Amino acid sequence: MATSTSVSLPLPSSRRGLGSRGYRVQRFLMRDRTLGYLFLFPAILVIVGLVAYPFASAIVMTFQAKTAGAPGRYIGLDNYRELFNSEQFLRTVFNTVVYTAVGVGVKFFLGLSMALVLNQERFCNNLFRSFLLIPWAIPTVMSALNWRWIFDDASGLINNVLVRLNLIEETISWLSDPHLAMFSVILVVVWQGTPFFTMSFLAGLQAIPKELYEAAEIDGASVLQQFSNITLPRLRPIFITAVMLSAILTSAAIQFVLILTNGGPADRTMIFSVLAYHLALGGAQRLGMGAAVSLIFFPILVVFIVFLTRRMLREKGD
Amino acid sequence: MALRMTTQRRALQGLGNGALVLMVLWTAIPFYWMIATSLKHDKEIYGYEATLIPERPTLANYATVFRETPYLLYLRNSIVVAVGSTVLSMVIACLAAYAIARLNFPGRALLARGLVFTYLVPTSLLFIPMFAMMSVLRLTDSLHGLIIAYLGFDVPFCSWLLMGYFKSVPVELEEAARVDGCNRVSALVRIVLPMSLPALVVVTFFSFTHAWNEFLYAHVFTSTTGARTVTTGLVNFMSQDVFFWGPLMASTVMSALPPVLMFLLFQRWVVKGLTLGGVKG
Repeated sequence: MATSTSVSLPLPSSRRGLGSRGYRVQRFLMRDRTLGYLFLFPAILVIVGLVAYPFASAIVMTFQAKTAGAPGRYIGLDNYRELFNSEQFLRTVFNTVVYTAVGVGVKFFLGLSMALVLNQERFCNNLFRSFLLIPWAIPTVMSALNWRWIFDDASGLINNVLVRLNLIEETISWLSDPHLAMFSVILVVVWQGTPFFTMSFLAGLQAIPKELYEAAEIDGASVLQQFSNITLPRLRPIFITAVMLSAILTSAAIQFVLILTNGGPADRTMIFSVLAYHLALGGAQRLGMGAAVSLIFFPILVVFIVFLTRRMLREKGD
Repeated sequence: MALRMTTQRRALQGLGNGALVLMVLWTAIPFYWMIATSLKHDKEIYGYEATLIPERPTLANYATVFRETPYLLYLRNSIVVAVGSTVLSMVIACLAAYAIARLNFPGRALLARGLVFTYLVPTSLLFIPMFAMMSVLRLTDSLHGLIIAYLGFDVPFCSWLLMGYFKSVPVELEEAARVDGCNRVSALVRIVLPMSLPALVVVTFFSFTHAWNEFLYAHVFTSTTGARTVTTGLVNFMSQDVFFWGPLMASTVMSALPPVLMFLLFQRWVVKGLTLGGVKG
């Protein structure tokens, strides 16, 4: 590339000295079409090799009895048939819906409250903002481990404090009581995931022009009226994006359940990603069954994904 | 009227301050417990003499982690994987984003859509076929395998983020440079990249912390100590009965520190990058 060295030279003279063949090669390389595909080639390789191909092979796997390393044997719809006849699977569907809906719902309201509070003016507000966002920056595995210890039956923080305050006689089994386990897991999901909503909503709040509120105030609108007529409609696009993104990520997050309860007690916290993990990588290594569990939820996810893809590209000005 | 407004405003401020105190406590207490536990002797952690505040703080748990566990090896593996996948995904994503933002060719919009779409497909849908694929390619139990696997998430995400930034660099600057004899590649390196520095910081932060925090692939693809990263290494500690909460919390504190420090350092840019779409929408 002779041209790259001399920025100040005008175009024709900088190409002087290239043979006509070199010139043609360079022009070919610099054409948008060639260069575009050349630049995108590694990314396409990544998409195809690490997402599209595995995804397609997962679909094939669901029709197979397959273990790792060995070729699969086609068994038609047997995997799906077995799943729909299994009580464990039906419980998993129910759990996943509850886990995702409650988790996202609580994160949404807590995140909105946090954003509104942080949007007020006060002393050292930036410091509070940084601090409240930290749970999002901590690796989720570390949060899950920490919470498992907080919930510990004998010496965990919660039981420790409750006993000291004489509020309970016997310690509570937060993670192994069938009625409490799901609640405890969702609590951790909320602790970790609320800052994402806070960040998104806070950015949205700060983008609302102050004049709108001033004008409303002159017209005598109360704080509540300002909230429902200015703030909420202005945040609506962000609400939709954040809820959808969080629904995808929350339903798919495996580490909280895997570390806190491993799906127990008696499948009370079993969600689809954990069930897929157990089927595919537990003792029996039934990859086909595991893939079927993962993919049964894909039709729901794909609606969200397609919708979000459109939004995310539109917002990039495409 | 004005009086009613001030009263309302004051009440709201008070309510906000009260809520803030609760939120700070809700956020802080788990941190506190993690750090406090890591500084306690076993006697203060378990049983009747358990304390809420460490009475005789000690670094013994930290010493145990380094002396008796392969934590340093896990740390090294995490750094190798995070740096490797970050560098690779940066190069691939810069090229892809530039092509989509600036070059005109058929299929451009489709590829842009493909990148975003793949970013949104969660790894929990892909880990089973990925495990089968990695086994066939003999890339399980290897850091190379993990670096490659993480590109599947990092490249689409980074390309999407960079696309928007590259579009915001004025085309005129680039055209001027090209009139002066820059070709596309040097225009990218000399004009577009320096002007997108904030975006590059955000992208580096995201791919590094993603690799550092990733658990599922690391857990599924590795079964030997030599290739474990910090996340799967710590979970493995937990499943061994000998290893208990003091040292485990010590290693948790140390492993959470790098991403938290990075976040605090780059926070302004990170929040902006993460919510870019939302702000514009």
